[in-house]
Amino acid sequence: MISFRRIGVIVAHEMRLARRDPLPIMVLIVFPVITIAFLKPALRPALVQNGYPHANGAEQVVPGQAAMSAFFLVTLITFSFFAEHAWATWDRLRASPATSLEIVVGKTVPRVVIGIAQFALILGAGVAIFGLHIRGDAAALIPLVIAFSVCLVLLGVAVTALCRTAQQANSFSYLGMVLFGAIGGAFVPFSVLPGWARAIAPVTPTYWAMRGLRSVILDGRGIGGVVAPTVMLLAMAALFTVVALRRLRFDETKVGWG
Amino acid sequence: MSPGPTLVAEGVRKAYGATVALAGVDLTVEAGTILGLLGPNGAGKTTLVSIVAGIRRADGGRVHVAGIDVAREPDRAHRFIGYAPQDTGIYPTLTVRENLRFFAGLAGLRGGEQRDRIDAVGDALGLTALFDRRGAQISGGERRRLHTAIALVHRPQLVLLDEPTTGADVRTRGEILALVRSLAESGSAVVYSTHYLHEIEELSATVAFIDHGRIVASGSLASLVERFGSSALVLRFDGSVPAAARVDGAVVDGQSVRVPTPDPAGTAARLLPRLGHHTAGLLAIEVERPSLESVFLTVTGRRYEAGVPSGAVAEAVA
Repeated sequence: MISFRRIGVIVAHEMRLARRDPLPIMVLIVFPVITIAFLKPALRPALVQNGYPHANGAEQVVPGQAAMSAFFLVTLITFSFFAEHAWATWDRLRASPATSLEIVVGKTVPRVVIGIAQFALILGAGVAIFGLHIRGDAAALIPLVIAFSVCLVLLGVAVTALCRTAQQANSFSYLGMVLFGAIGGAFVPFSVLPGWARAIAPVTPTYWAMRGLRSVILDGRGIGGVVAPTVMLLAMAALFTVVALRRLRFDETKVGWG
Repeated sequence: MSPGPTLVAEGVRKAYGATVALAGVDLTVEAGTILGLLGPNGAGKTTLVSIVAGIRRADGGRVHVAGIDVAREPDRAHRFIGYAPQDTGIYPTLTVRENLRFFAGLAGLRGGEQRDRIDAVGDALGLTALFDRRGAQISGGERRRLHTAIALVHRPQLVLLDEPTTGADVRTRGEILALVRSLAESGSAVVYSTHYLHEIEELSATVAFIDHGRIVASGSLASLVERFGSSALVLRFDGSVPAAARVDGAVVDGQSVRVPTPDPAGTAARLLPRLGHHTAGLLAIEVERPSLESVFLTVTGRRYEAGVPSGAVAEAVA
């Protein structure tokens, strides 16, 4: 039977580990804020051209950079597994009374929380510093952001299951961040992407996140604008869960790093 | 607590591809006793211990801990097991106390009980002064002590220590051995895997010799030595062993010959004159008393060398 108390112990432990090494999380927030400052002026003309005459560029670059850097959650969750192998704590964690499910849930929950907090901070900085104006109902973004974070974290668990070494997982995370960010419309407005990119974009979580963000921020929509993207992100999360369940072998020896 | 033995393993088998790691191992460990699991590198000790710990699945056989089938209910069995794997596993960015607190919390210890257990195990392994130091800031020996302490913090009924003194300094080794004795005195069953024979002799443990995935001899230290141990005369030469020294029953190993005999002094008196001019090449004459080493030699036909993979061959004289 699943023990929520043990999950709580693992969650607290993971949060403590994250506090002791906060740099990766700082990068998650600081990196997009810096890029927003550089890219905002360049993206205004594209938005104006696409029928948003009052846009100042922040409407594309703030959610875009937030969505792209959120992909770093994949790195964070894969690292949390591979670090256990590098520190030789994996076997003793498995030999504890915690079940496999409790270990996975205990590791994923903090990263989902970090993902939500990251989005809130970057959108908040967008409003406070970069003149981001959310035309629609900002509360509608909550389910979308939660679904996006859950989706990325579970993608990270699936990547962990499929990779044997930390280097493989890191390579995938980096490639995914850049590729999915570009194809998903996080760099530039979706409408200016080449046709082939627009055709394959729906297979990326970033596309659905950006579609929901755009409909609330630029098109002024409410919850109705995020239902389809949220459902698609949760469907992808379910797919990643299936991959993780089929491929994650707790007795597999993984190479932490080096 | 189950009224039977704390650990019962029956017919445990495991293979990695074509390599057989365990070929049907039976073990029983009662509460309050220490089982010294002895064997050369590659003999199957770690595989056996990790199967008992429930982190590796056997291909066949059964393992029960405190009456619980480890393969069927590993999570329930884990409440009764304290496992220290061979590789030192701690969280380097957490303090010593935080490392202990995490595993104590997973085992269900809370509040005052958790603090008391952390203090007790810290005191027993000399960690108290290090409680606020991070894992990355302590020495190798201190890490080894913390690694062992984590396995013991929840006062498990079955303690599995896989080569706990590997790389340990003299102090750490002494503290671990003392703690193992006190654990058994307090009622825990201990499986102590090692390739150091003298540690088992120091612990006065029940012994199970494992070799090529089989238990080749087991029993109390005294009974094994009485049954299989033999005294012997060992002659070491500066070159090959001369034919005159290759008497019946002698085992030649490189430049030395071991002659099993209940009367080493008498055998020396008879053998040395036969060597003639070869005595000039004699480097050493040693007398081996019955010991675990001689038990291993008797049951396997090979000298026990801790660091040599199982399977090292000595040349036997027909």
